[in-house]
Parts: sequence; C-alpha cells; structure tokens
Amino acid sequence: MNAVKTLRALNPEQFARAVRLLLNPPPGSRIEAAKKYGIDLTLLIEQLRLTPAQRAVKLQAATEAVEQIRGIARRRS
Amino acid sequence: MQFDRAIQALCDAQVDFVIVGDLAGPFHGSSYATYLMEFCYARSSANMLRLVAALSPFHTRPRGIPAGLPFIWDEATLRNSTVLTLQTDLGEIDLLAEVAGIGLYEDVKRHSLTVEAFERRVPVLDLPALIRSKRAAGREKDLSIIPELESLLETGSE
Repeated sequence: MNAVKTLRALNPEQFARAVRLLLNPPPGSRIEAAKKYGIDLTLLIEQLRLTPAQRAVKLQAATEAVEQIRGIARRRS
Repeated sequence: MQFDRAIQALCDAQVDFVIVGDLAGPFHGSSYATYLMEFCYARSSANMLRLVAALSPFHTRPRGIPAGLPFIWDEATLRNSTVLTLQTDLGEIDLLAEVAGIGLYEDVKRHSLTVEAFERRVPVLDLPALIRSKRAAGREKDLSIIPELESLLETGSE
C-alpha cells in the first residue's frame, strides 16, 4: 500500500522561487496566462506564505465574517 | 459555516472521505473562498454507517426542499443516491460517491494528499486531480478557477 503524501508549507527556497515566478511569469507559462486572464497573482503569494493549516483557518474566518455581515443585513432589512 | 467542526466530526468517526471541489482549493493556496463543503466518501456499508452517525447530530436534511417534509437520514438514503446536497447546522455539505474526471472514492483517494488542519489529519484531493475534476465538471464556475490552480501547480506549490 502506498503511503499518502502530506501537503506541507513551502520552505524558504520554494517560496522564493514561487514569488519570482508569480511576480515575473515566464513567457508562455500558465502563470502568464492566468495573469492575462485577470487572476491577481499577489493573492497567491500571500496564500503560499501560509501553511496549509493556516490557509484553512483563513478560509473559515473569511466565511464566518461574511455570514456575520449577512446576518446584520438581514436584521436591518 | 463550520468547516472545522464538520471535518473534525468526519475524522473522529473514522469516515473514509476526501475533501474535493472548491473546498480543496484553498488548502493548495487558491484564493477562492467557498461556502460549500464537498466530500467524496467510500460506499462500503460500514463507512456509510459511520458517515450517517457523524452527521446525525447536526440536523442533516436535503437542501432546497420545504421544511417539514419527511426525510430520514440513514444508510439507505446514502445508498440510494450518488450525490446528496445537504443542509446541516454546520453549513451546506455535498456528499459525492464519484468525482467527475477522477472516479469513485478509491480513485479519488489515490489522488489525495494529507493535510494537518483543524487538529486532524485530513485527506484532500491533490492539485493535478483537482484541476482535472474542474475541467471535467465543465461549468463556467469550475473553468474560471482553472487558471489560478494551474498557476499554483506551476509554482511547484505541491
């Protein structure tokens, strides 16, 4: 049976490489295509700065914040 | 929306599942937020019983139907449906027997990684498989996420 791999945070070298690629996408790359498509690549840099666990917590916090705003809006309407 | 409690409940009940869909993206670095939890699960009788038990405390019921209609949350309900769209006290949950472009749970599991999150070890669909599933789903909302996911793959984030 194959061992399941673990998704980990990028190490400093991997993160530096990712930042270089995202700030200066190589011509013809998928990253360049995404930039042209309108993706804000700086958001990815901030995400990749975090561990996968921190990204999960950030998502949870974001959805909770939106739900609170929705609740306030419902109570005012 | 309580991703943490839902994931903890499934892990603690030893349910065989994998996080798929939009909820898998942020673990890999996607900036897209989602309000839907999508899980692919093993269809063995024992696993479906564990899944039913795990979600029973959270008033699990079908999404989008009038309140008060009779609904029984049990293994038979799971067995008779390959896609269940549910509303729970923890938020909206989709339970999938199969993922487009990947296959059944065993195939999905082969294309998963483990993430340490919410104080548990959680299986999440890997990035190449997530991109494949989005492409296979083919809806506009799925296709629009692919450029970002492909960028993450190209950075070597996984």
